[in-house]
Amino acid sequence: MNLKCSTLIPLAVALGAVLTGCGKKDDVIKIGQAVALTGDNSTWGQSEKNALDMEIAKINEKGGVLGKKIELVAYDTRADATEAVNVTKRLVSDGVCAIIGPGQSGVAIAMTSVTEPANVPFLATSATNPKVTVDDKTGKVRHTAFRTCFIDPFQGTVAAQFAAKTLKLKQAAIIYDVGSDYSSWLGKYFTEEFDKQGCKVVASEAFRSGELDFRAILGKIKGSKPDILYIPTMQKEAALIMKQASDLGIKAVCMGGDGWASPDLITLGGVAVNGSYFVNITSLEDPDIQGFIKDYRAKYSNDPVMPNPVMAIDALDVIIDAITKTGSTDPAKLTTQIEQTKGLQTLSGVFSVDPATHNPLNKPAIIQEVKDGKFVFVTKFVTQ
Amino acid sequence: MYQYITGVISLGLIYVIATVGLSVFTGYTGLFSLGHAAFFAIGAYTAAILTYFYGFNFYLALALGAAAGGLVGFLIGWPTLKAKLRTDYFAIATLGFGEAIRVLLENLPITQGARGLPGIRGETTLPVLVVAAALTIWLAWNLIHSRHGRASIAIREDFVAAEMMGVNVFMGRLRSLTFSAASAGLAGGLFAHYFCFIQPSMFTSYMSTQMTAAVVAGGMGSISGPVIATLIFIGIPEALRVANIWRLVAYGLLLVLIMIYRPQGLMGYRELSLDMIRGWYRRVLKGGKP
Amino acid sequence: MFVQTLLTGLAIGGIYALMAVGYSLVFSILNFSNFAYGSIIMLAAYISYFAMTKLGAPISLAVILSILGAAALCFLNERLAYSPLRKRRASSLFFMISAMGTAIFLENLVYAVVGAHFYAFPAVFTRTNLSFFGASIAVLDLFAIIFSAITIFALHMFLQKSRTGIAIRAASYDIQVCSLNGVNNGALIGLVFGLAGGLAGVSGTFLGMKYIVYPTMGWITNKAYIAAVIGGLGSLPGAVVGGILLGVLETFVSAYVSSVIRDVFSFSLLVLLLMVMPTGLFGRFLEEKV
Repeated sequence: MNLKCSTLIPLAVALGAVLTGCGKKDDVIKIGQAVALTGDNSTWGQSEKNALDMEIAKINEKGGVLGKKIELVAYDTRADATEAVNVTKRLVSDGVCAIIGPGQSGVAIAMTSVTEPANVPFLATSATNPKVTVDDKTGKVRHTAFRTCFIDPFQGTVAAQFAAKTLKLKQAAIIYDVGSDYSSWLGKYFTEEFDKQGCKVVASEAFRSGELDFRAILGKIKGSKPDILYIPTMQKEAALIMKQASDLGIKAVCMGGDGWASPDLITLGGVAVNGSYFVNITSLEDPDIQGFIKDYRAKYSNDPVMPNPVMAIDALDVIIDAITKTGSTDPAKLTTQIEQTKGLQTLSGVFSVDPATHNPLNKPAIIQEVKDGKFVFVTKFVTQ
Repeated sequence: MYQYITGVISLGLIYVIATVGLSVFTGYTGLFSLGHAAFFAIGAYTAAILTYFYGFNFYLALALGAAAGGLVGFLIGWPTLKAKLRTDYFAIATLGFGEAIRVLLENLPITQGARGLPGIRGETTLPVLVVAAALTIWLAWNLIHSRHGRASIAIREDFVAAEMMGVNVFMGRLRSLTFSAASAGLAGGLFAHYFCFIQPSMFTSYMSTQMTAAVVAGGMGSISGPVIATLIFIGIPEALRVANIWRLVAYGLLLVLIMIYRPQGLMGYRELSLDMIRGWYRRVLKGGKP
Repeated sequence: MFVQTLLTGLAIGGIYALMAVGYSLVFSILNFSNFAYGSIIMLAAYISYFAMTKLGAPISLAVILSILGAAALCFLNERLAYSPLRKRRASSLFFMISAMGTAIFLENLVYAVVGAHFYAFPAVFTRTNLSFFGASIAVLDLFAIIFSAITIFALHMFLQKSRTGIAIRAASYDIQVCSLNGVNNGALIGLVFGLAGGLAGVSGTFLGMKYIVYPTMGWITNKAYIAAVIGGLGSLPGAVVGGILLGVLETFVSAYVSSVIRDVFSFSLLVLLLMVMPTGLFGRFLEEKV
């Protein structure tokens, strides 16, 4: 074979591979997942995917949905908005009927630029910023955006009420990440409610994303003598802040949001995080999900990292319900059907979509305390 | 599938526009800009704010975004180039500048801080990008083949000699920087109207690093080299999606290996031309003799 | 609040000083900024972390392993990435690219191989803090300051009294004359990198203990470059003073103005100094003379 032919053969093979990759298989139902498998949020992302793999295997064993098996198509977003847009484009061209995820609000908002024109619905698992489902410039709801978790205004309110009414704390200092919309807004929602409760926010300090040394700000806060430190950040910063606060001799109670809910908080923070509280969507002690937890532990010999795996399964339940009710996997039909979901029994409880905002109605929040290196359930709050 | 491929090509073209500008600066002055993503961000935010809040015409907004980038490049360049910072400290200073812009974007009310600007009009389409890329490359080409270009090459090769020959080193570098900042600004504006959502955290040093790596790999002193390198850098990781995390490992290793074994990069000081392609064709398919 | 801020500033400054000395050591001999230094510091932190957790080593052994490991890595870095360029008498631009490439490569290699997970050192010192005049400082920080001071003093003694130390100081004045006098330049340079690596071992371990261990922790060396300029490029006592001064100034800006602009402040200080007083406090090197 001369040179000319031998250069053409690999080309032909490559072309063939690309073309077959484009073909659609009609005997499976493809559900996409946009998830952070690597990067800072990977503990949640990996757990989410594990849970979905486990649940989908169970469903497929029982015969699947509408007689077809479900195939999970998962791509890594790295919790990066730009990467997520690429991922979503890929998922849409792969022919998924709906997307589960993402877990981050900024990423979710970026994805809408692809899902809205393509009319493919997505159900965010832990993206709590209200602007994910409602475009705040026009005030209109984004028709393909849904979520299974609560929203930050609620989370901030719960934290403030718990601090003021249950813990009876009067002066709060807030430390937030100015580069994260989740963090900045959660801090604001807390402040609004805390003020309403008649208490005072005596200090509010910002730091830049990626900051490791908070002692300068903490030194400043120490002077205002707060009795509660509200830290609406992710687990890594929260752990460091609490560690350094204790180094500086600050004796305030620390409190945070669902960004704390990873076991990292304890490994990174050590003894300094004991005695702090945080709001979460669901927890390991929630009686409704004990069956799921047992199965997860048996299969993966680890606890699921809350709340994402449960939220993901809720999302799966919603999608399957919509497919069954419409009898089709056309994404546009599913979008309309999901919006009408009411009173559906999902893993974590009863799920109903508010058509005006696409947010779930009557979602409870849970307060957990960090005690002796473990997350301990304290109480449950329901939406008012 | 078609939508996915055009998506990858579009992203590639956006980066090509920014990288061409950077190659005019780094390739011809030998200085590094590690904070170039900042000019990208300035262009993105300027164009986006104009169309998002004030309903400006898309093309006008793009032009103003590019102008904003260029203006800031000029303002930053003036003190830092005047101070004759050495290559490494100039690079560190640009890093600092990149930080400063990020802080500004996170804290100004008009940029809406960390929330960013979601829902920007998606007016960047493939034809727009192709035209913009062609325009930028054409402008860069003319810049290189002008008096300014020859002066830049002189500056890069030996700035002491160039200064002695009467070349205004300072102005030459400043012009290159301004052009590169403006093209990054143009790319930024296109980026904003392509992703329809921008946030300060999207403009990272990873972006600057990728651009710099493309310039070095493509060859400092060529325009087509960095263009090809950028398309390869964007295209190959997409095709081999699994190798995502190893992409940067490869960039780093590539930079070191290029410096040791082939410092002139892919294209060296030459441009891709018809003669070159004919030469390859003959060598590969006719088995050996050029 | 003043005393607390001062105390915090000194603790941070101590680490900056250590990094700045390591950086200046290489800079004074080769006149180039080793951008890969940050990644060596990061690797040192990982070495001591894994020594403590996987091998169960006590902290003293972990520090020793990390010093030796980082010294070896730094030496290897020089041999593989820089000496081919040095032998070719390549321009400083190429060194810089090679350094950047090494940094990107190492950082992302760790990301890919070990994972992006953050690691925290097991608690070594009790979590109590000591009080001075109403301000608190952690035992770890106090220990870090003292240990850094001892390390720097040991280095100083080595440079002043030993023959090799004298050779290093001679090389920092003029490396070519040094080789004329019979010093084996290649070996000397390797040794200097080894020493810098050893310092990286100490600073990496302390950084890891104070905060957390993760792949991008090397970026903190940007502060080392700034500290070196403040103290005066090429001067080791200057690096120490510069480090402490930078730490204190930064912390005051963080506490009294805003933590958000802290890095902007540091980089602006850098640019200002390079424009107005490039020799810094104790330095000898000036920028390019033309």
